[in-house]
Amino acid sequence: MKFRNKSKMSYHYRIYLYKLIMILALALSCIALTKGAFAYDLERKVQEFTLENGLRVLIVERHFSPTVSFYIRYKVGAVDESSEHTGTAHFLEHMLFKGTRTIGTKNFEEEKKILNQINKVINALDIERMKGKEGNKSKIDELNRQLEALQKDSGKLIIKSEIDRLYTENGGADMNASTGYDLTSYHVSLPSNKVELWARIESDRMINPVFREFFSERNVVIEERKQTVESNPQRKLMEQFLATAFMVHPYRRPILGWASDMYYLNVDYLRNFFKTYHAPDNTVIAVVGDVSASELMKMIKKYFGGIPSQKKPVSHFSEEPVQQGERRVELVSDANPYMMIGYHKPTLPSFDDYVFDVIDTILSRGRTARLFKVLVEKKGIATSIDTANGFPGARCPNLFVFFATPRCPHINKELEDAIYEEIEKLKKEPVTARELEKAKNQMRADFLRRLSSNSGIANMLSYFEAVAGDYRYITNHINMIEKITAEDIMKVAKKYFNSENRTVASLVGIKE
Amino acid sequence: MRKHLFYLCIAIMLFVLPLGGCKPATMVNPDDIGYPPINFSLPETERVELPNGIILYLLEDHELPFVNISAVIKTGSIYDPVGKEGVAELTGIVMRTGGTKGMTSDEIDSELDYMAGRISVSAGKESGTATMSVLKKDIEKGLSIFSDILINPVFEEKKLKLAKELKTETLRRIYDNPQKLAFREFVRLIYQGNPRGRLSSIKSIEVIGRNDLIKFHKRFFYPGNIMMAVTGDISKEEAISKINKYFGTWKTSGKVEKISIPHKKDKGSVNYLFKKIPQSIVILGQFAPGKRDSNYYSFEVLDFILGSGGFRSRIFSEVRNNLGLAYSTGSFYSAKSEYGVFGAYAMTKTSSTVRSLSAIRAILKDAGKIKVTDEELKWAKKSINNNFIFSFSSAEQIARQQMMLKYNDLPEDFMDTYRDKINKVSSEDLQKIAVKYLSDKDEVIFVLGNEKGFDKSLSSFGKVNKIVKSEE
Repeated sequence: MKFRNKSKMSYHYRIYLYKLIMILALALSCIALTKGAFAYDLERKVQEFTLENGLRVLIVERHFSPTVSFYIRYKVGAVDESSEHTGTAHFLEHMLFKGTRTIGTKNFEEEKKILNQINKVINALDIERMKGKEGNKSKIDELNRQLEALQKDSGKLIIKSEIDRLYTENGGADMNASTGYDLTSYHVSLPSNKVELWARIESDRMINPVFREFFSERNVVIEERKQTVESNPQRKLMEQFLATAFMVHPYRRPILGWASDMYYLNVDYLRNFFKTYHAPDNTVIAVVGDVSASELMKMIKKYFGGIPSQKKPVSHFSEEPVQQGERRVELVSDANPYMMIGYHKPTLPSFDDYVFDVIDTILSRGRTARLFKVLVEKKGIATSIDTANGFPGARCPNLFVFFATPRCPHINKELEDAIYEEIEKLKKEPVTARELEKAKNQMRADFLRRLSSNSGIANMLSYFEAVAGDYRYITNHINMIEKITAEDIMKVAKKYFNSENRTVASLVGIKE
Repeated sequence: MRKHLFYLCIAIMLFVLPLGGCKPATMVNPDDIGYPPINFSLPETERVELPNGIILYLLEDHELPFVNISAVIKTGSIYDPVGKEGVAELTGIVMRTGGTKGMTSDEIDSELDYMAGRISVSAGKESGTATMSVLKKDIEKGLSIFSDILINPVFEEKKLKLAKELKTETLRRIYDNPQKLAFREFVRLIYQGNPRGRLSSIKSIEVIGRNDLIKFHKRFFYPGNIMMAVTGDISKEEAISKINKYFGTWKTSGKVEKISIPHKKDKGSVNYLFKKIPQSIVILGQFAPGKRDSNYYSFEVLDFILGSGGFRSRIFSEVRNNLGLAYSTGSFYSAKSEYGVFGAYAMTKTSSTVRSLSAIRAILKDAGKIKVTDEELKWAKKSINNNFIFSFSSAEQIARQQMMLKYNDLPEDFMDTYRDKINKVSSEDLQKIAVKYLSDKDEVIFVLGNEKGFDKSLSSFGKVNKIVKSEE
């Protein structure tokens, strides 16, 4: 009785409550929509630390399985090389797998003496070889003999591939390293109880690497170039493309190096390069997986804390002058046609760069993307078509690039014209609301898909922390994207997609 | 002030640390680091059979708002009709791109792209795969399209035409990519005489028509021939009821006959294909034990030691590290339940082609002659077993793995007993299987490159079969 009375009395109140809930729900859904409609907030999961020596550490705890992924990013890449030493950053990445003073040697003091001699002989040999025809043949033979004998001696003291052995034996997965124009990266995933092994190895090679097996490894990178560039016409074209689009800026040089530079990769330059750039305050670490951030930080402090910071290297790059006319380059090769078209543009975090990310999605993400629809499906002139924003790096102003593969019997020129038609459309007609919303939906979901693995997250956080200076660039990326309008796209297309700002590279078959 | 303090710290550190080589706080020998034990209880995948015969493997994972399905279908390119190689592949492609009874191809593409969903259908050699990944909020729409694609594809003519043209162009371009070309030729040679060795060509693609795809789909796509791993942001109950809702009315049936497995070759061969490139690609290989063979575990260890165990493995160590002859070199072992293929490879400059090939061969020969050292064996076992935890790093991976055990007719406890069985492998076992499987008598050797610059003639390995560039 009492109960019923009460409920009668509260009728109005309940209506009010219901309304309130509705309003609240609406408000929440608005927030949810503007936040991207997903409840996943990566930024809140990142724990960030800076050691006194400047080393940046980002940690995300994820406990699905007892594994952990590590990324170390050194803010140094091919752009930091001087022009006659191309390939050094990449070669250094290889040499950092050769061990340290305490890893990979039976007796470092003895080994060091031989290594010094080896380096002297290689330098002398290189100088003689550089002379070309003028070089003293018998001196070269003699130096080669000396080198062989010394290598034999040092071989007795080396324990080969120790870093790889240690990681492999302890269950390491996705072990790899990579060198780009902007960054050099080392990554590995380990069972989560093996954190200390990683700290021991990586802190040691941050300060005490030993460049043993220099000579044979130099041959290995020369083989790498033969395999990935010289046997691959599309990669060869890319080299020509970059060297044409950038006349001055170091993005014009190949990461692996020009072949003729690689034969003379120099150990003294390499050491100096290492000393300048591999410093804790030029480094970002990201760790994602089954760890406790506080425990992990104790370990990181213990191993990395004692590494002295250095004067931060100041990079000066020759600035690319504004392009004032179309550039074209052609590569004749025993292969089917292929082409690249690039336009200069600013890099992140400029607003225009965000707009290019949207343009990239509209043009080439999925089967309904404009270029696929028109060039592959409707006109049937392309086998594949892709675009990339921020090529070939992001530390400096870069390019927006079209990669197009014609379908026989169609030729590059037909694709080129069709691409320009699509570009003109971007300049003249605003994209529809649905198309823009589609692109934003895709970008939101793609971002979330990148969060499905420890290594994916570690990769992303460390990359943007190193390149953009703050990982929040990427965790906030979608919020910036939300703001972009159809007018922004037209404006940016008009500003950058013009013929004076364009470089076109085409691969053409050998004419019979 | 703070900044000032900071610089002071740096100054002190620089002063304290000796010049010319700084030691981190602890220089413990990396082999002496003690590790806490690892605790992991494998999340349990639930197996459910729907009334119409579809088998589901379910594992929830609510971290991200996606629902993922990975389905396996008993089919594959080994079932391609003779002369129409490519039917399986085209069926997969056009199922996804060629529309359904309920929707046109353009409608499907447009819906999927708008909701940023992903659906794929593809055919491998011995299995077919269909996947779906959509945001949880789009689950109904996603399943509606996914089920329609699997059950009611209509194979629109224009999309078949497009798929054929694109495939033809891909085949024309294979010759531009030395690595793809080389491994494709190796597959053709190793499986010669078995359906696995019949590869599509421009000619075979040309004669494939819409009816071939309709027939192929009907023959293999029925509920009793498909299993699905369902993971992500969906409860098991909801997953079962939703899948039942969209697939429950599917009631067709059929029978898939088994294709004979390839047999050990009677004799080996030396094969050469010309391409003007500065580097040769050398591949040599033969058949090896399958996963159901008791020698499987020994062979895993042997392959690891020979060439797939990273820098320390013998081929990598010798050909790349010691000789500096290649950037890419090593071995691979791919085992199905009833047979396996082992191969070793190197990509080396033209003038060291035969030298690299000989170096690899010597290593393979040694395996049968000399026992591996205890140290090597310990390293390999420890590596394989420690790495095993990465077989369970996501819900998707775990559920799919359970499903594939069933697909490959492997025992349910295959994963549980794996490490023990690896641990039991002895150096005698390795030597025995090396003798049994790595004889050069049935070895297929393939070299892609320019023989004019070879250091020695390939004929030192036997009669050379010169492959003529095929019309594809």
